[in-house]
Amino acid sequence: MALRKIVLSEDEMPRQWYNILADIKMNPPLGPDGNPVSPDALAPVFPMNLIEQEVSSERWITIPEPVMEVYRIWRPSPLVRAINLEKALDTPARIYFKNEGVSPPGSHKPNTAVPQAYYNKVFGIKRITTETGAGQWGSALSFACSQFGLECKVFMVRISFDQKPYRKTMMGVWGGKCIPSPSMETKAGRDVLAQYPDTPGSLGIAISEAVEAAVSDTTGQTRYSLGSVLNHVMLHQTVIGLEAKNQLAKVGEYPDIIIGCAGGGSNFAGTAFPFVLDKINGKNIEIFPVEPAACPTLTQGPFVYDHGDNAGYTPLLPMHSLGHNFVPAPFHAGGLRYHGMAPTVSQLVNEGLLEAKAVSQLEAYEAGLIFARSEGHIPAPETTHAIAQVVKEARRAKEEGKEKVILFNWSGHGCLDLGAYEKFLAGELTNPIFTEEEKVKAAEAFKNYPRPANLKSR
Amino acid sequence: MESVDPSIRCPRLGSDVPFYYCRKCGENGLPCFKVFDCWWEIFDVVAYLRDELSPVDFERLKGTKPKEKVLSLLEIIEKAKKNASEPPAQ
Repeated sequence: MALRKIVLSEDEMPRQWYNILADIKMNPPLGPDGNPVSPDALAPVFPMNLIEQEVSSERWITIPEPVMEVYRIWRPSPLVRAINLEKALDTPARIYFKNEGVSPPGSHKPNTAVPQAYYNKVFGIKRITTETGAGQWGSALSFACSQFGLECKVFMVRISFDQKPYRKTMMGVWGGKCIPSPSMETKAGRDVLAQYPDTPGSLGIAISEAVEAAVSDTTGQTRYSLGSVLNHVMLHQTVIGLEAKNQLAKVGEYPDIIIGCAGGGSNFAGTAFPFVLDKINGKNIEIFPVEPAACPTLTQGPFVYDHGDNAGYTPLLPMHSLGHNFVPAPFHAGGLRYHGMAPTVSQLVNEGLLEAKAVSQLEAYEAGLIFARSEGHIPAPETTHAIAQVVKEARRAKEEGKEKVILFNWSGHGCLDLGAYEKFLAGELTNPIFTEEEKVKAAEAFKNYPRPANLKSR
Repeated sequence: MESVDPSIRCPRLGSDVPFYYCRKCGENGLPCFKVFDCWWEIFDVVAYLRDELSPVDFERLKGTKPKEKVLSLLEIIEKAKKNASEPPAQ
């Protein structure tokens, strides 16, 4: 009988996070004056102990015991051999997934929310503000703050706030205060509401509100927290990959392929970075961050354009294939075009240590269903992108007749995201769905939407 | 004519949004810079926005590159400081 779950005992948990900045070279962000941004510039929003981690080049950073205590609520998370998925795909590959959906909020997010709350606490901070889209990060930070007796205020983009009332409730259960953004609590929010009372909000507005709420506390006891992209977030997430490495070693395995979905990059980085270190040291591993398929006209082939300046202000040269006769090219790797992708992940893609992959919306949900119907767990929509790539690789292994070991991060469950599954099951989620007639209808429907005002040049 | 307003999952927000949202949630009221990436599977969003936006705005949208996160945070911090120092309107 094949072993299904590989578990570590609590005393086998990693005691240190892995900091990839010790092993790669990064260009520092440059400020408007052309000089590297000083860490002090972030002091109004982050406590100095986290800023020190943000710029640290120490390879191993000890996980404080109070963080370990909270991690133990759900960590070590199980590494699961996806035996039923292997059977469903009829593949010789051995597929393992790290189940990060077992955390209280149901995703990998608390891996960094908990240490961030802890470091704020020891720095003397009483309140943390943040923004959230669909609520995963806001839930995780609310949970983390509750563990350390901190207040938590979450500005949630209004369109998601209205769609996902249970997320607000989750945050409330943990003592977090969830406010639809834009709100009247900040000048940034009030200004937007004055101009657009019915606005659905945006992440940009929510971030502005969360930062203003932190900066405007004259007692200095409020800070802001970010759940992705930044170096210290990637650092905290490496607990995933470090555990997985130990778990695989227990059964004498080592991955040939590592896969994770890549939004801001943190769950992917957390899984992959400890293995990137091995790859830097000569191991032969394929490591794939996976993102939604990008518009091919923007990333390849016939879309030829030339800016007259680097900022892209000037008109472009004429181009072809973007008119109504435009036919999308086959799917391809868009190359991590996602806004705010972690610079460390982007750097590793540029160096060729990682190879970005892209999957379509339809491929992702199809894979999500294959997984749920074989392994049982319902994956979050983000996670389905990783699974879609796993399915491709498992089928490739079958074609090649190779017993590859595939590791992927199951970054969270989708039990609060069932709307999308409902659409998929109803056949409403498909690839190109607009007929010519529907396009005309769509144009009619959209034409009365307010046109954007040109407030200023970028 | 029946209105058409399909929704798709926004990879930035993590929830479903109608095109209406993507059309206006970008910087300075422009569409989201991801709008081409997200909607191309659904309809010819490139042609649609080229018709809808001014040529300058269309080219600006097409050429938008996301800012480094730390840099955008610094800008937001500066703006927040300015907002915090202004007395609330009566």
